[in-house]
Order: sequence, then structure tokens, then C-alpha cells
Amino acid sequence: MTDDSIISWTVFFDDALFSAMAAIGFSSISHTPRRAYILCAVAAAAGHLLRFLLTMPGGIEMNIIAAATIAAFIVGIIAVFVAKVIKVPAEACLFPALLPMIPGLYACRAFEGFVGCLSNLDETLFSHNLYLFMSNGMTCGAIVIGMTIGANIPIFLMKKISFQVTR
Amino acid sequence: MTMTDFEAACEDVSFTGNARDALGRFLAEYSAWLWGCGATCVRIDKNVGRIAMTYGYRADVAVMPRHVTVCLSDEGGSVQTYTQRVVKAGINFDINTELSALSWSIRDGKLSLDDAEKRFRTIVGQLYVDNFHILWLTSLANASFCRLFGGDAAAMGVVFIATAAGYFLKQRFLRGKMDIRVFFFLCAFISATLASGCGLFGWGTTPGVAVATSVLYLIPGVPYINAASDMLACHYLCSFSRFADALVLTASLSLGLLTSITVMNNCL
Repeated sequence: MTDDSIISWTVFFDDALFSAMAAIGFSSISHTPRRAYILCAVAAAAGHLLRFLLTMPGGIEMNIIAAATIAAFIVGIIAVFVAKVIKVPAEACLFPALLPMIPGLYACRAFEGFVGCLSNLDETLFSHNLYLFMSNGMTCGAIVIGMTIGANIPIFLMKKISFQVTR
Repeated sequence: MTMTDFEAACEDVSFTGNARDALGRFLAEYSAWLWGCGATCVRIDKNVGRIAMTYGYRADVAVMPRHVTVCLSDEGGSVQTYTQRVVKAGINFDINTELSALSWSIRDGKLSLDDAEKRFRTIVGQLYVDNFHILWLTSLANASFCRLFGGDAAAMGVVFIATAAGYFLKQRFLRGKMDIRVFFFLCAFISATLASGCGLFGWGTTPGVAVATSVLYLIPGVPYINAASDMLACHYLCSFSRFADALVLTASLSLGLLTSITVMNNCL
């Protein structure tokens, strides 16, 4: 095994491990039933790693919105089947697993741009901040909508499982 | 269960008014709690419809920003409306799970309305103390976030401490019933200021990542996903309401972050 491939595997392992840890933390904030923590972590690791693989430079280099949508679809499928095993609503597994992919930094940067617009009357600075606001805000919104569409498709395709798991 | 069974079952329970009123009030409160703990409108519709159908009624739920309205109609065309103020319970998938299971127990005839009401009270009366394990798991989650955004070990350590401090304050503020927007601002300010330690003392090589990710534990992710889910299900009003709530909180925490950056830059 070459040094390069070892580095790549470490990067993939890091991405999966830390997104899983983030999912467990967000599960605890959302008071997800404890039996779901580990499975949420597995779903989050799979989704985040897939998004990472799809967007990584030198690979497919897919746009982050499309990659997030595809990754959320996979997380949705995992969540529906996991929900059936541990008897919790699909959303209880799905949402904490999606949270590591929520574009929080884009949202903060968009607001930063908005404040920049208000505090800079100079045309060049205003235009730059408006660009930051629009670019980050639109990307953030599109990622959230894309993720939600991707994640909801399995829930609606497998309605019988999704809405009867707590029976 | 037929209508007659239902009327009979409700005769020996302690509800005031007639059986239909008891069911209507129960459903309105049930919906308000489901909404409050972060269930999507599709789930609220399905759960409430399932319970109403068990007793021979049809339920139409209108979810507004501050209240939930349940229209209960019978086969004869008679309609009655029940309204309940939404419960601000905070996102809680445990309650969501229990309430969904309750609707199935009623549907499968395992519970009378009286027993369902008692179980409902037990579920919503559970005390969810924001205890120590949530504090350290949240801190660990945010430190992991820092790593995902390219932060080094020093940044992760500082973000862990900054998040622990911010979340500890959040727990105290929640108990003190402080306005949520104010404490989001304060928690973001405290976390970002502590995370500035990386830049201030020259710890690690990614101080910017530490500051930016120190407030991410406050991002209202579930309301954003819920808003988009409701929009896809054509519940536009509810979707907009959840989105506006999430946007206000994001603005509050961003303001806290920006204030901290400004103050720390001036100090430096």
C-alpha cells in the first residue's frame, strides 16, 4: 500500500468518524431515543462520506447541492430500514443523521454578508457583500431543499414502513 | 371500535361535555404537542387522522404558526372545531416516537380514550433534564464539526470547551425562561469569544475555523429540515412559520458571532 493511499483512507475514515460523532451529539440534543444513537451515527457516516466522495477534488467533483441531495437520499433509505428495526419514526433517525450535512457555515456567512451590506455604503464593498450574502444564502437554501427532497423520497416511496414502524 | 362503543367507553371517564368534545380536545392537544416536539405536518395529519378514524370521525388539521385547529366531522356532515395553542416543547424525538406509538395503540384497540388520555399525560409529563451527558455529547459533536471543516487538534479542543461553556449557559437560560433570541445571541457571543483563544494565544494553525464552527451547535437544523419537508407536502403556512423561526434564531446567533469577532478584533 502506498503512502498516498494510506493518506486517502485516513481522510475517508476521519470524515466518517467525525460525522458519526456529530450525529450522536445532535441525536442527544434532539432527545432521540437512545437505542437510535448508534444507527443514526452509521447513517450519518455513510451520507457524509458519500457527499465527500462525490465532491472531492480529483474525483467526480460534483456540485455540492447535487451531492448533498444524493447523499441525503441514501441516508433516507438507511433511516427507513433502521427505523423499522428499532421501532422509531423514520424522521427520528433521519434528521440527526442529516444534521452534519446542514450548511451552517453558509448560513452564517450569508448573514455576515447581509450585515456587511448594511455597514458599507461604498459601492464596491456593498457589491462584494451583496455577492457574499446572495451566493452563500442561495447555496445554503438550495442544499437544505435538495437534502430534504432526497431524504423524503424514500419515506414517501416506502410509506407503509415509514409511518407504521411505531405500531 | 364503533361509534356506540366509543360513546359507551366515554361515559365512565372523567371528561366533561360529550364524548365528541372529549375526543376533539384530546386531538387538538395531541396535535399541539406533536407540532411542538418537531413532528412534520404529514405525521401530525396521519396520526390525528388515524385516531379520529378509530372512533368513526374524520379529522382535518390546520397547523398555524401559534395554534393548531382540528376539525372533527362525522358521517352526518356535522363539523366541530377545536383549537389549541402550540406547545413550545423544543425538538424531542422521544415524545414524537411515544405519541406515534400511542396513535397505533388506539388504532389497534389496545387503549380506550380514557387510558389514551392517561398515557398521553404520562408521555408529555416526562421530565427531560438537559443533563451532563447531553452537554459533553454536544461539545464532542461540535468539536467533530470543527474537524470536518478542516480544524486541527488545538482548534477542536478550544471548540469543545467553547461549546461546553455556551451549551451550559443555554441550559441555565432555558431554565430561567429567558427569551430564546436573546440567549442564542449570548451563547453565540460567549462561544465565539472563547474560541478566539486560538488566535489570541497562537494555538494551532486554524483559528478562523475554530471561531466559525464554535457556534454551529446553535444552528436550528431540525426546523430547517422540517420547513422544507412541510413545503414539499404543500403545508406552506407551517413551512414558512418554521422557516421564519429558524431564520430569526440563525440571525441571533450570527449577530452574537459577529459581535464577538468585532470585539476581539478591536481587543487585538
